[in-house]
Amino acid sequence: MTENSTPYLQNGAVTATNADEPLVRVEHLGKSFGDHIVLKDIDFSVRQGDVTCIIGPSGSGKSTLLRCINLFEQPTSGRILFHGENVTAARKANLLRRRVGMVFQSFNLFNNLNVLHNCTLGPRKVLKLKRAEAEALALKYLRVVGMDAFVNAKPRQLSGGQKQRVAIARALCMNPEVLLFDEPTSALDPEMVGEVLATMKTLAEQGLTMLVVTHEMGFARDVANHVVFMDGGVIVEEGSPEQMFTSPRQERTKAFLSRS
Amino acid sequence: MLEILREYYSDILLGVGYTMLVAVIGTLAGLLIGILIGVYRTIPNPKNKVALVFKKAGDYLLSAYVEVFRGTPMMVQAMVIFWGFALLNDGKTLDVTVSGLVIVSVNTGAYMAEIVRGGIISIDKGQFEGAHALGLTHAQTMFNVVLPQAMRNILPSVSNEFVINIKDTSVLNVIGFTELFFVAKDIVTQTYKTFQTYLLVAMVYFVLTFGISMILRLVERKMDGGKNYKILGSQNPDAETFAREVKHD
Repeated sequence: MTENSTPYLQNGAVTATNADEPLVRVEHLGKSFGDHIVLKDIDFSVRQGDVTCIIGPSGSGKSTLLRCINLFEQPTSGRILFHGENVTAARKANLLRRRVGMVFQSFNLFNNLNVLHNCTLGPRKVLKLKRAEAEALALKYLRVVGMDAFVNAKPRQLSGGQKQRVAIARALCMNPEVLLFDEPTSALDPEMVGEVLATMKTLAEQGLTMLVVTHEMGFARDVANHVVFMDGGVIVEEGSPEQMFTSPRQERTKAFLSRS
Repeated sequence: MLEILREYYSDILLGVGYTMLVAVIGTLAGLLIGILIGVYRTIPNPKNKVALVFKKAGDYLLSAYVEVFRGTPMMVQAMVIFWGFALLNDGKTLDVTVSGLVIVSVNTGAYMAEIVRGGIISIDKGQFEGAHALGLTHAQTMFNVVLPQAMRNILPSVSNEFVINIKDTSVLNVIGFTELFFVAKDIVTQTYKTFQTYLLVAMVYFVLTFGISMILRLVERKMDGGKNYKILGSQNPDAETFAREVKHD
């Protein structure tokens, strides 16, 4: 890790018109699949440099909330603001997604491409970088996640932890202003969980804005500066990790945290 | 049988040539038609009302094409297209070879459309999401991520179609196309050695189809790539080493 001092978000604040405006603001967000209501009147925001962890039981709507933010799910009500601009209309999805990265539980590396080309596809096709520029960028971020030696490997030749680190590098290559993590360690064995969390911690220390849906309470406690607890499609409680883990105000939060 | 081969080998070779010409071009053109239709039918429905109407109309037309050409015998299609063209052009028929190519391509396209669509929908949704999350458009996702994987998966079915086409070009004898079966009929009328001639031709067909099967099996193995890969020597190679060691494939 030779480039620890490099800021990840070179274009981070370029479009911020107002310093007080959060990077992402979610207003009265609702989402239902037919009669099944998944999210009810969600309000919250992510500021530049925040590491927010969303915790809660399975089925509480955490992942759906995350997927609404990059418009993988179209909200049924409410708005999503990016730098204060309403981006909820689906036709803007491509433009939004090149600035909001996502890391998946199931990695979703491109099976037909090797590690290097997984990382260069976005920069070349979306950011229109030259091949050499894209490869330099890919190598830089593959080094950050410690996967630069594996540029020639295909995804099926890697372990789960290695795949996830490549997936993180792939997302970083787009220089995202915020990176969404959808249960990034849930498909991994304990050792691999460790290597992925260590990578994420490094990124958090570099000032990357991160929004992490996770069941790793240790990570939420140690790395996050903001913790959101969700249950039944609503935000039950949110606050700093110290407050949430030592003196939660709500009974539901207490019950959930006492079991983990 | 050997004397038939000795006497008529040039006719048989000509028949093989025409059969393979139609089978190869028909399969490739059919695959291209299939890819275009398969990709079109997997485009997500547009939000715009007018665009949606056009998309739906296109879907119905393509469904009709697929169902009609899958649902009628190629021999009948050959007759209808060949004589239909003649009827519309004051009795002037389309060149037999061109007719043969068109008929086999269009017929194969109908099957390939479904094969390609099946290949596309068999690709894990995560592959689409991974690409969309980077900001790639649907078309970029298709051509860079999904189709390369779908093509690999449908190769056994494509190989199937190819083998079927080699055999089914024989029905083109009804429009007088000089493929292998047509040649065989011709030889029989001259030698009266019916059994020997058709047995010989059967063997020739088998050599062709078996050869093609083997070749496509090799292509599959090639597409799968090796099990091994090179780990770069240094954990932190400089740019120069990197450029040298990275394999551009």
